[in-house]
Amino acid sequence: MSFQIPIGPQHPALKEPISLRMTVDGEVITDADIRLGYNHRGLEKLAEEKTWVQNIYLTERICGICSHSHATCYVQAVEKLMEIMPPRRGLYIRYLVSELERVHSHLLWLGVAGHEAGFDSFFMYTWRDREIVMDLLEMISGNRVHYAMNTIGGVRRDIDEGQKAKILEGVVTLRKRSEYYFGIGANEPSFVARIAGVGMLTKQQAIDLCAVGPVARASGVARDVRKEDPYAVYDELDFNVCTSDSCDVLGRVVVRVMELLQSYNMIEQMVKGLPDGDIVVKAPRKAKPGEALSRYEAPRGENVHYIKSNGTDKPERLKVRAPTLGNYPATMVMLKKGFIADIPLIFAAIDPCICCAERAVTLISARSGEESVVTMSDLRRQALDRSKNTPVKGKSVWPF
Amino acid sequence: MSDIEIVESLKRDLGEKALELTNPDRRRVFLKVAAPELVPTVTLLRDHYDSTHLSTISGVDKGETFELLYHFASLAASITVRTEIPRAEPRIASICAVIPGAVLYEREIQEMFGVTVEGVPDGRRLNLPDDWPDGQYPLRKDWKHVRPEEVIPGGKS
Repeated sequence: MSFQIPIGPQHPALKEPISLRMTVDGEVITDADIRLGYNHRGLEKLAEEKTWVQNIYLTERICGICSHSHATCYVQAVEKLMEIMPPRRGLYIRYLVSELERVHSHLLWLGVAGHEAGFDSFFMYTWRDREIVMDLLEMISGNRVHYAMNTIGGVRRDIDEGQKAKILEGVVTLRKRSEYYFGIGANEPSFVARIAGVGMLTKQQAIDLCAVGPVARASGVARDVRKEDPYAVYDELDFNVCTSDSCDVLGRVVVRVMELLQSYNMIEQMVKGLPDGDIVVKAPRKAKPGEALSRYEAPRGENVHYIKSNGTDKPERLKVRAPTLGNYPATMVMLKKGFIADIPLIFAAIDPCICCAERAVTLISARSGEESVVTMSDLRRQALDRSKNTPVKGKSVWPF
Repeated sequence: MSDIEIVESLKRDLGEKALELTNPDRRRVFLKVAAPELVPTVTLLRDHYDSTHLSTISGVDKGETFELLYHFASLAASITVRTEIPRAEPRIASICAVIPGAVLYEREIQEMFGVTVEGVPDGRRLNLPDDWPDGQYPLRKDWKHVRPEEVIPGGKS
């Protein structure tokens, strides 16, 4: 007999409000289903009512981890529509922040992966080191989460010699520690035993289901927008696309650690080769009618913004496709034939974005399989009623 | 393959079927086909242009018609297939048989624009809540959000 297990929208194992329905046969998942929309905010509709400049700050708030990715992807498209080219110094600073953001996101993810695998000291180590890069980002932009560095035609803040020295210093420490984590991620026997062979996604499945980012690269698909569509400064930088052929969670850990090391190289190259000059050019208020497709390699994979303009100071249409959405069909395949205990690990391995949302609990009667949805307040009332009627109330004695 | 080679090659392969073929920017090719030609064109792109990766599907409300854009990506270029369907009869064939990863994007188009995607393997709603009223399509231009009146239990004090 098969059972359905609901996981989410609110669940301690998930960092994001999403509803997963697992059909299980014993411990093995036979079918997985997904329900989205618990964090849908109608951003694309809202963007049609905001001006080009206001939308920078709106797109930045799509995500809290890859905030710079969405804002950069958006301004890339707007700059094409307005036919302006940011100065080279501005571009270098913009993509320097991008790479620093990738470092902070991957370190965060490594910690979460360690935590889900029951390796909490790994989590503490990586999150301690994440503070180094968070401090660097705060020093550059003044903010820890929404950096607000981008503007149409360049960036809003310059960096000076002292800051450059601090960035290089931080990168030296981070590289040393990341190499140590790479040793752990690939060699520590109990950690490897927990994550190897979990959440398999073959190369052909990754191609068919249009997986993006580290998930695709861990299945041997060398798909990286920075290499295949080298926007802005990426054709001037020397880096490799990191792939792994193991097709499991172990591969995703290895790919992300290797990408960290590549990002440190890129940060050093950009800081050392930072050109002189202005950081921003003046942008017009309106854009000519037209369309632009912008692609960007966010920490989680390919981010796509499509913008259509109609000659006014507002976009006609802004379409956003965040990388996590592209990875959901692949996740469903990874979950099938897996174990219940692997769900948090597999789901965390695609690095879903962290958000917050409403509260509802689905109760399933284990005997009949019947479902009922109750709100949190109802559940609480039921619990209070129950405790009121329990016979021992008021008569229980403290045993010591 | 460079952009010009791709454009020339697409012209040869599609002939009259390519209603419009532009290359507005480096590594960006926009191709327009009629709605019934969509699935054969997508198959051609997948098999002969290495465009196995569908980035996303965008929809635009153009008043009398809906424009659907299928953004493909390959190592050589990003090819966007554009097609238009009439607002009076919004129907399009599913490309899931060719590109299995398109299912979530097609479900999104379906609920946001009210376009019927024929043959989509899973036609349920994706983002909108279960109690969302029928016939309301948020990304159509004539749809306006009306904020429900706030009800404070016990009234305002």
